[in-house]
Amino acid sequence: MIRDAWRKVRGRGMLEETGGMRPENLVWVFGTARTGSSWLSAIMGEVGGYSRWHEPLVGHLFGNLYYERAGHRSEDAHFILGARYRELWLGTIRRFVLDSAAARFPGIAAKGRGYLIIKEPQGSMGAPLLMEALPESRMILLVRDPRDVVASNLDAHKGGTWTADLMRKGGKEKPPSLAESRPDAFVKGQARRYVRDVGNAKKAYDAHGGFKVLVRYEDLRADTLQTMKRIYSELEMPVEGADLARSVEKHSWEKIPSEQKGEGKFHRKAKPGGWREDLTARQAEIVEGVAGSLLRELYPVRSTA
Amino acid sequence: MPVFRNPTVSGVARKVRAFFGLEAGVTRGALPEPTSADGHSAGVVAPENMIWIFGTGRTGSTWLAAMMEEPEGHDVWFEPRVGTIFDPQRFQRHGGKHFILASQYKDVWLRSIRNFILDGANARFPELAGGYLAVKEPGGSVGAGLIMEALPESRMVLLIRDPRDVVASWLDATRKGGWQTRRRGEGGLRAESLADTKPNAFVRRHADAYLKHVGSARRAYEAHEGRKVVVRYEDLRTDTLGTMKRMYGELDVPIEEARLAEAVEKHSWENIPEEEKGQGMFYRKATPEAWREDLTRRQVKTVERITAPLLEEFYPKRPTEKQG
Repeated sequence: MIRDAWRKVRGRGMLEETGGMRPENLVWVFGTARTGSSWLSAIMGEVGGYSRWHEPLVGHLFGNLYYERAGHRSEDAHFILGARYRELWLGTIRRFVLDSAAARFPGIAAKGRGYLIIKEPQGSMGAPLLMEALPESRMILLVRDPRDVVASNLDAHKGGTWTADLMRKGGKEKPPSLAESRPDAFVKGQARRYVRDVGNAKKAYDAHGGFKVLVRYEDLRADTLQTMKRIYSELEMPVEGADLARSVEKHSWEKIPSEQKGEGKFHRKAKPGGWREDLTARQAEIVEGVAGSLLRELYPVRSTA
Repeated sequence: MPVFRNPTVSGVARKVRAFFGLEAGVTRGALPEPTSADGHSAGVVAPENMIWIFGTGRTGSTWLAAMMEEPEGHDVWFEPRVGTIFDPQRFQRHGGKHFILASQYKDVWLRSIRNFILDGANARFPELAGGYLAVKEPGGSVGAGLIMEALPESRMVLLIRDPRDVVASWLDATRKGGWQTRRRGEGGLRAESLADTKPNAFVRRHADAYLKHVGSARRAYEAHEGRKVVVRYEDLRTDTLGTMKRMYGELDVPIEEARLAEAVEKHSWENIPEEEKGQGMFYRKATPEAWREDLTRRQVKTVERITAPLLEEFYPKRPTEKQG
């Protein structure tokens, strides 16, 4: 009888914990910054029945403590994210996400259908925790050649670029960046960040038992529509072909006004292999040294090795 | 499902009681909402019986917590570090509505933080029904504001110590052979410290950390409307029993004086074996104002400049010092 009652209680709790949001309707986009996640999520969010949650950073919230600040305490029973209580706190993270999603997207939660695309490249550090907490969710691992990612960041963090504008909008002046004073050190730091983010996102991808797809930015650039169709197909999500084609067209590189593109802009080059022009030989070597393992795994043919 | 795969007997009983409507839940303040309807966080640890200790490391929080753990029906949650997760300064740049902690959805995520903490407390302290749980959380003080907002019924101790002594203590702990360096070495972490290579930079960094942690805790203390008390390490050292009695009095926590006296005696400095005390040890000097011997003049000035607002508030200069 107790077992039966327990099942009922647990079942009731499950319905209420989600605030109506179904975890299987969440589509996580992990990777790292400057991999085209804004572009991909804009295309997906444009299609009927899909909405976009733009960088909640919930993965960073929990991942930072778990993997960086206090990783050494995982066996400590007092530690809030300790191994002994893993199921408990994963359940809490689950409710945290679902409650927040339901509050922001009540339309999807109320209808119980539709999909929420969660663009979370900068929270990718916590991807393994999020996907373990939400095993029914769908996942996109979006990757890009680390040398291009680092080159893009190197450009973005120089003085007077779009990142400075962004900070100014928030009422702050961008402090001097290593990108200008010590570019090689900046490159090394960014390569490490790539390994942290994409490395953890890849771990989450490998472990995830639900619907998932690995997407390379380079493939998206080469044939956007076909790559998008593959994404929907592998994630088993419905999409109207004409809707998708319209959205792809609307968000194409060619549709972005020329004055919004170029060096120092958010939309810079969109050119796979552009790192050959942007990085010095030494900088390319630094990235290959730090991110070599992921580079070989994700780009076996294009590796310089 | 990740949740409740291995429920405890008491946990199952709580759920079953909740299911049959036998448990009314816990009375709480206006904010936030009590718990999820399955009674998940309406457990044995009542939020009003949680006593949060905020401040920063090396302020005597381990000592204070050890004394608070002694009385019957009292326990200590030793550095959960939950405050580190909810550090608002970490996300200063991300104030948009999409951010998980966006102000527009504060009621939602405050409830989540509340459940996150209470779930963790209930799972770890299932035997504490009706008792008090001190949460030693100096390292999570950056999140004190959100924690106290999520748990407005909880009680709070703001534990402070002269920042010059705090920095001097860290400097000693992190030098070659210091207890912190040894611990880092055992954990495979970098053993070399700025304390040895660039002591002045180390002092600056730890003074910044003091300002950040104690500053956050101070703001949380100011905003908290529940029971609260400021405890100075120096007062604890001068009159431990008297200060402990004052602390429990202001927190309105009943405590048997004889048991408290026993706890104070048991954990007194004098009862720590000599071989466990001294330079490089966790128990070092316990001497207020030892910074006069430990820091250089330049280091003292650095700490005083950085932590000036807190130093002036809690450790105002005596007239003779002002003249000097």
